[in-house]
Amino acid sequence: MTTMREVLPQATAEPNLPPTLQDFAKQRFEGLAGIARPTRKTEAWKYSAKRLNKLEGLQLAAQAGEENAPAELLLGGVQAHPLVLSNGKLPSSFPQIEGVQLKSFAALSEDEAQRVAKGLIATRDNLPFAEINHAGLGDGLYIEVAKNAQVELPLHLILVHQGEGMSLPRIFVHLNQGSALSVIESVCAVNASAEHSLINQVTDCLVEDNAALTYYRVNDDHDQLPQVAATGVQLKRDARLFSHVLSLGSPLGRHDLQVQLLAPGAECDLNGVCVAQDRQHYDHHTCIEHIAAHCTSNENYRCIADDKAQIVFNGRIHIHPDAQKTLGEMSNKNLLLSSEAEIDSKPELEIYADDVKCAHGTTIGQLNEKEVYYLKTRGIRDEQARQMLTLGFVLEIVRAAPIADIAERWEQRLSELLSFED
Amino acid sequence: MLSIKNLQAQVEDKQILKGLDLEVKAGEVHAIMGPNGSGKSTLSQVLAGNEAFEVTGGSVTYEGQDLLELATEDRAREGVFLAFQYPVEIPGVSNLQFLKTAINNIRQHRGQGEINAAEFMKQAKEKIKQVNLDPSFLKRGVNEGFSGGEKKRNEIMQMLMLEPKLAILDETDSGLDIDALRVVADGVNALRSPERAVIMVTHYQRLLDYIVPDYVHVLSQGRIIKSGGKELALELEEKGYGWLGIDEKAEA
Repeated sequence: MTTMREVLPQATAEPNLPPTLQDFAKQRFEGLAGIARPTRKTEAWKYSAKRLNKLEGLQLAAQAGEENAPAELLLGGVQAHPLVLSNGKLPSSFPQIEGVQLKSFAALSEDEAQRVAKGLIATRDNLPFAEINHAGLGDGLYIEVAKNAQVELPLHLILVHQGEGMSLPRIFVHLNQGSALSVIESVCAVNASAEHSLINQVTDCLVEDNAALTYYRVNDDHDQLPQVAATGVQLKRDARLFSHVLSLGSPLGRHDLQVQLLAPGAECDLNGVCVAQDRQHYDHHTCIEHIAAHCTSNENYRCIADDKAQIVFNGRIHIHPDAQKTLGEMSNKNLLLSSEAEIDSKPELEIYADDVKCAHGTTIGQLNEKEVYYLKTRGIRDEQARQMLTLGFVLEIVRAAPIADIAERWEQRLSELLSFED
Repeated sequence: MLSIKNLQAQVEDKQILKGLDLEVKAGEVHAIMGPNGSGKSTLSQVLAGNEAFEVTGGSVTYEGQDLLELATEDRAREGVFLAFQYPVEIPGVSNLQFLKTAINNIRQHRGQGEINAAEFMKQAKEKIKQVNLDPSFLKRGVNEGFSGGEKKRNEIMQMLMLEPKLAILDETDSGLDIDALRVVADGVNALRSPERAVIMVTHYQRLLDYIVPDYVHVLSQGRIIKSGGKELALELEEKGYGWLGIDEKAEA
C-alpha cells in the first residue's frame, strides 16, 4: 500500500508553535504511515483518484516571499479587508479590524492552541490530505471575533500558491457568542504547474451561541492549480452558517465541507455552483451532521460540465438519534453540455431519529428544449438562447449570495466563462 | 400578409391538421374557434416554428416569404409573435435581460443598433404598467412563480414590447378572470393597426366581446369548416358546435 507518508516524508512542523500544536502535528505525522493514499477503490475518492494519480512528487513548496496579490485577485469591486497568505505564510502585518483579532498560530495561548487541535477537520480521520496539512503544520492564521461584534466588511483571505510543490495554508476562525463575520477565501496561483503543484488547505471554524458566519470560497484563477481543501464548521446553539462556494474547474479540485449542528437552533445554508470545462475537474463532498434537535439545514448545489470535464457531488446528511425535529433539505441539479462530460452525483441520507423532515433531490440533464424554443420565438438565436439558459441555471444560486458585490462579480465571471454577451 | 394553403401537420405520427386554408390581410383580426383537439394549438405552434410539429403538406406564405422555411427565431425577427397558452418558467433569466436580448436581436435583424438602456427601461416600465403587473416582475425570472393570469399578462407585455406584425394568441383568454381578460384585450386593441394582423385562437366567445374580430373561423378535425363575421361567434355560443355537425367527444 502506498501511504500518505510518501506525500510528506519528513515532519516539518514549525518549531515556534505552542507545545500543544507541536504534539498535535507530531502525532499526525506518525499516523501518516497508516493512511493509504486514495485510489479508485477508496469510496470517498472513487471518481477523482485518477486525477490524483497525475500529481507527481509532491514536495513541500518553497517558502514564498510575501506576495502582493495581483489586483484582479482582490475581487475588484468587492469591499473587503484583504489579507494574503502566500504558500501558507502569513503577512508581516495584519489589517486592523474592530472586534477582530488576527494572529499567527505561533502566538496562540494554550487555550487557543487547544481549540485549534479540537477543530472539526482536525479531529476527522477520513480526510487524507487534511492529515498532511495537520502533520506539516506550519504557520496558521487564527481569527477571533469578540463577543457580539458585528464585523461589517468581509475579511478577504487570498490564498496564493507559488511555484511547484505543495503548500499547506491553515486557518482557524473563532466567532464568540453573538458575533457576525463574513470570510471570503479565494485561491489563486502564481507560476503553478498542473502536474507539480498542489494547494492543500484546511479551514476550521467554531461558531459559538447565536453567532453567524458567512463563508465564501472561490477559485477565481483556477486553470493551473490542483487544489484540495477541507472546511469544517461547528455550530453551537442558534449559530448560523451561510456558505457560498463557487468552484471553477481545476486540473484536480476537491472541497470537503463538513458541518456539525451541535446544539438546538443551529442552522446552515450551503450553496454551491460549479462550472468545469475542457478537461477540468471538481469534486465536492459535503457532510451535514445533525447532532442536536431542532436544527435546520438547506443545501443547494448546481453544476455544469462541458467538453470533457468531470464534476463530482457527494452530499451527505447524517441525522443522529437525538436530532428530533430536524429539517433537512438537499438539492443538487446538474447540467451536462456535452456528451463527453461527466457528472457523478451521490446524495446520501442517514437518519437515526424518527421525527424529522428530510428531503433530497438530484437531477442530471440537458437544457430544456421547451425553454430554448420559448426564447427563440422571441427572436433570440439558438446559441444565445442556450447560453442564457445555461447561465440562468447557475445564476439562481449566485444571486442568493448575501453580499451583492460578490453576487455581481460572480455573475460577471460566469458570464465570461459561459461566453454570454449581454 | 399570411396565406395558409392546404396545411397538413402531425405530431408524434398523429395527423392533426388535415388541409387547412386561411387568408389573413394586414389590419385584420381573425378568431379561430373550435372544440378541444380540433387543431387550434397545433396551428399556432406550426406558425411559430415548433419543431415538435412536423409539417407534412401545404404551404404558408408570410409577407411573400415561405414561412415554413424560416427558423423559429427568424420568424420572430420578421414580426411573428406567439402568445403561448402555457408560457414556460425560466428561473435565472430575468424578464429584463430576456426582453432586452429579444429586442436587440430583432433590432439587429432590421439593421438597427442596440437599444439605449434608459429608453429600454422606460418602455419596459410603461408596458408592465399597461398590463397591470408590478414593476418588480421585471427583475424576476421569466414567469418564475407567476400565477396563470400573470403569465398571460406577461405574454401580452412581451407582445407590446416587441410590436409584432402578426400576433397569434393561443388561448390567451383561458382561465382569466374578467379584469385580466380586460388587460389582455386592451393590450391587443392597443396593438391593432392597419399594418398589423391578429389571430386569436380561443375556446370561448367571451374574449370576442372585448376584441371584436373581423372574421370568425370554426376549426374541426384539422380543417376550417365554417367562416363568417363576428355574429358566427355568437351563434356558436348559443348553439354549441353540434349544429355544424361536430361531435365534440370524437375530436378530443
